[in-house]
Amino acid sequence: IDIFLFCNTVLKFRSKPTEFRSKPTEFRSKPTEFRSKPTEFRSEEHRPFRSVFAAGTARRTAEMLKKREGRAEEKEEEEEMDRCSVRYKASSQQEIPDRPLSPEEWRKLRDDSSRPDRFPGRMLNLMLAAGTDVDVAKSLLAFIALDSGTVPYVLLLKYLSLCVSGGHHSEVLDTYDLMKSCFKTLDIGAYSLLLKGISRTERWREMLPMLEEIKKIVTPTRRNYGDAISGAFLNGDSETGWTLYNEMMELGLEPNQEVWQCMFNSATSLQKDKEKLLDILIYMRENQVYPQEMLVKSIKTWFQSLPGEGWTGRFSSVDSRDRCGSCQAEMESIELTEEEYSQLKQRVMANVIEGRDVFFKTTPQELQSFKNFVKKSPAFDVIVDGLNVANISVHGPKSQNLLAVVSELCDQGLTILVLGRKHMMQHSKMWNRYDILKIKQIAHCFFTDNISKDDPFLLYAALHSGNNCKFVSRDLMRDHKACLPDSATRRLFFKWQRGHQLVVPWYVPGKKVRFQRELRYDTVVQSTPTSWHLPYDEDGEDRSSYEIPQKWLCLTKQH
Amino acid sequence: MTFLRLQVVGVLRRCCGRPSSSAALKCHYSGLPTSSFISTPSSALTSSRALSTTWILRKDVPQPKDEEARPKLDLDVWKSMMRTVALQEDRVKTKDKVEGKLSPLEATRMLVDAWRLAGRLVPDSLTDEQMEALSKLTTKSSKRKFLKHLSIKEGYKKAKMEKKEKKMAERMERADREGFDVDSKADVKLKNTFLMKFWSRSLDTLLFWRSAQAMQYGQPLVFDMSYEQHMSSHDAKNTVSQLLQCEGWNRRSVDPFHLHFCNLQPNSVYHQELLKRYGQETWERLFITTTSQRHVDIFPRENLVYLTADSPNVLRTFDHNKVYIIGAFVDRSAQSGVSLANAKRLKLATARLPLNEHLQWDCGAKNLTLDQMIQILITIKETGSWEKALEFVPIRKHGGFYEQKTENSVFIRFHQWYE
Repeated sequence: IDIFLFCNTVLKFRSKPTEFRSKPTEFRSKPTEFRSKPTEFRSEEHRPFRSVFAAGTARRTAEMLKKREGRAEEKEEEEEMDRCSVRYKASSQQEIPDRPLSPEEWRKLRDDSSRPDRFPGRMLNLMLAAGTDVDVAKSLLAFIALDSGTVPYVLLLKYLSLCVSGGHHSEVLDTYDLMKSCFKTLDIGAYSLLLKGISRTERWREMLPMLEEIKKIVTPTRRNYGDAISGAFLNGDSETGWTLYNEMMELGLEPNQEVWQCMFNSATSLQKDKEKLLDILIYMRENQVYPQEMLVKSIKTWFQSLPGEGWTGRFSSVDSRDRCGSCQAEMESIELTEEEYSQLKQRVMANVIEGRDVFFKTTPQELQSFKNFVKKSPAFDVIVDGLNVANISVHGPKSQNLLAVVSELCDQGLTILVLGRKHMMQHSKMWNRYDILKIKQIAHCFFTDNISKDDPFLLYAALHSGNNCKFVSRDLMRDHKACLPDSATRRLFFKWQRGHQLVVPWYVPGKKVRFQRELRYDTVVQSTPTSWHLPYDEDGEDRSSYEIPQKWLCLTKQH
Repeated sequence: MTFLRLQVVGVLRRCCGRPSSSAALKCHYSGLPTSSFISTPSSALTSSRALSTTWILRKDVPQPKDEEARPKLDLDVWKSMMRTVALQEDRVKTKDKVEGKLSPLEATRMLVDAWRLAGRLVPDSLTDEQMEALSKLTTKSSKRKFLKHLSIKEGYKKAKMEKKEKKMAERMERADREGFDVDSKADVKLKNTFLMKFWSRSLDTLLFWRSAQAMQYGQPLVFDMSYEQHMSSHDAKNTVSQLLQCEGWNRRSVDPFHLHFCNLQPNSVYHQELLKRYGQETWERLFITTTSQRHVDIFPRENLVYLTADSPNVLRTFDHNKVYIIGAFVDRSAQSGVSLANAKRLKLATARLPLNEHLQWDCGAKNLTLDQMIQILITIKETGSWEKALEFVPIRKHGGFYEQKTENSVFIRFHQWYE
């Protein structure tokens, strides 16, 4: 659903879009739930929930901006690129034979090619890319063997990758035996390929010594372990599979979703299996991992197959009252606990604001004066990122946009802090002195040096004003999130951000300022004794790493 | 004999059709469902057509596919050949298996050997230092990139060596042909001229005298060498290369600066690399002042101006009384504003070059390399013209100079450097 509609006349240098809202009438509701909380934000309940953090928003915004910038130019560029690539392909592509050739034909091909000594390798690369028939590759290897007496390791490796990607199990096994007998030790790439290939065949037990070989040199990758575990499960040995899985978790590697899918598909109804699978769900919760559609379907079938418990699963989404669409249960709140909050406060101070050197973002004197200012002032209800908010509209002086937002918040009866930079106080076309004076009358203000970064101050003030202090900014704060030391703190920061950031998606001067409501429930795998709710990624949904999914699987237990 | 036999086979096949001919020749296992023939290197491909006994036009008869018609190729001959080779080798040597956990160095060595065998870009030989550095790298991709870099360097050396040998061989050949001695310089012809040769020695002496004069009376220019922690070793080596170039450009200018290398700690990466590049003797004879003191301690604070691309102040005129500081830093790290942070800490005045004011910037970082900086400063010192000085900014970064300074240039100054 597009938020913006554009009018037809677009000037070359400045596009003047006139923006219409999807619903013509404005509606203000004051639901009773809000009265209980100390800070109130009047927002619209009946509107479809839109958030900057919802999955797919970034992709939609990018497409809209592309449309705005003019589709015609892009189409031309794309066509040109296609032409160039076609030309390049035609000139450099050597044709792969479509049937097995005899050695004479191969010799002729080799002598005709531009680099005869590189011919076998290049031909095999092309075959691998195109996924040709194994027989053609075999005929090439036959020619090489007859020509030079032996097949070099490189070519065997390429042939092996062709067999593995094509799924020719007998060939994989033959090649493996050959390589083992001819060469003392194989390289890690060969072992990885063999793990992938052999795990699907009947000789899958030979994977385990291979894994040991890899361990001698480097830590095996997630993919190595994943292939080994899925091989064990597919061939019926769940004990080995679980041992390998525990090993992998101890090393701190996160398994692929296909591995989990394998485990859920081949699970029995034993009690200990059930516990292990529930442990997987707990892992997903603690590490904020969202399953994909395939995995979530396997989970649903597994739950529904548990005898005597009567689980039913339904796909749904969360409605505007923060309840599950299918079972009406309330979702987990997004509020942080006391210790989490203080830990986040301390980490943000140490890593985001001070970091390796205070001088990168500010100076010690400025930081100290800000700390004193915050201590002196009363607790704030909302913090406004002055520069970001002033840029929400391209029309008119920026100070007026800022004034409009601040007045709107003041009308709601909140204590406001506005953060800006010292150049805003100087009178200019964009920054009207009178607007700034009016802002100073209705809100507390703090102006940093022009060369300091103001976002860390925003975060500091918001965190130190208590758990119910929100902040207004369109900035997604990804650069500051990246300064935090470990992923647990980053997840905590993201959770806090979703629950406390107010976004003004667009603004037309003269109209009312509207805020996008902050999230009140946590999008994470959550459970109660009689239900499980799992958020999942739909197939084809392009979710960025700073967005959260909107679809849920609701599992309820009937007694 | 073989040729005759095949001719007979061809005739037989044409007369009798396929099934009987297949029985006449040897079959060999190849894993394919249909029978196949051994192919020898000298076998000729014979084609056959199906016999039609009805009065249908030949082209209406379905022709058999070429694959079925041609003699089958043995696709697994290479496997049997490799097995025999392996068996032979087995008898010769016993396989030595590596047991237990390997030390990191040995593991790295095994990795390098295995990758060389697998055809990856790996140098043929590694020194001990390089092996140490390689085993310190943690991830597989960083090891792969390091090895690729070393193999490319080795490739250049090899190519150079080959060229040299080829030239030497040609020279020897020419010497044999024309019958003169290779080592003598008899092929250098003496020229008959009244112009005396200008030895490079003379130019060097002149430049050294000028540098010595600059050290006594010239304007100081400081290179701040306190950025070791912010650079990788590769970047540090690049910085030292740029410093060498700076020294050269300065020496050759009409009125050189008096160069200072400040904050140069005795055993730092900078110092070691400079010694390696210059050599001990040249390093001691250089006309540069190197000190481990800070520039704030040597010069009065009012005279110092730190040149950095992140500064809000623009340098409009070159002041011959100020001491300009340039950070000896190749700024490839993700963190920006490092040099500005240093200047802020010491409360120094900062400035940036007027790049936005004179050039239509295209794309590229406004951080310029050290040799570009010094050439700009030398030119602005000599001529006072920014147009001439900013010619040293690489052309790929900008789209040309602004033609004339109109009133709009005042608004260009207000170009929101702030967000």
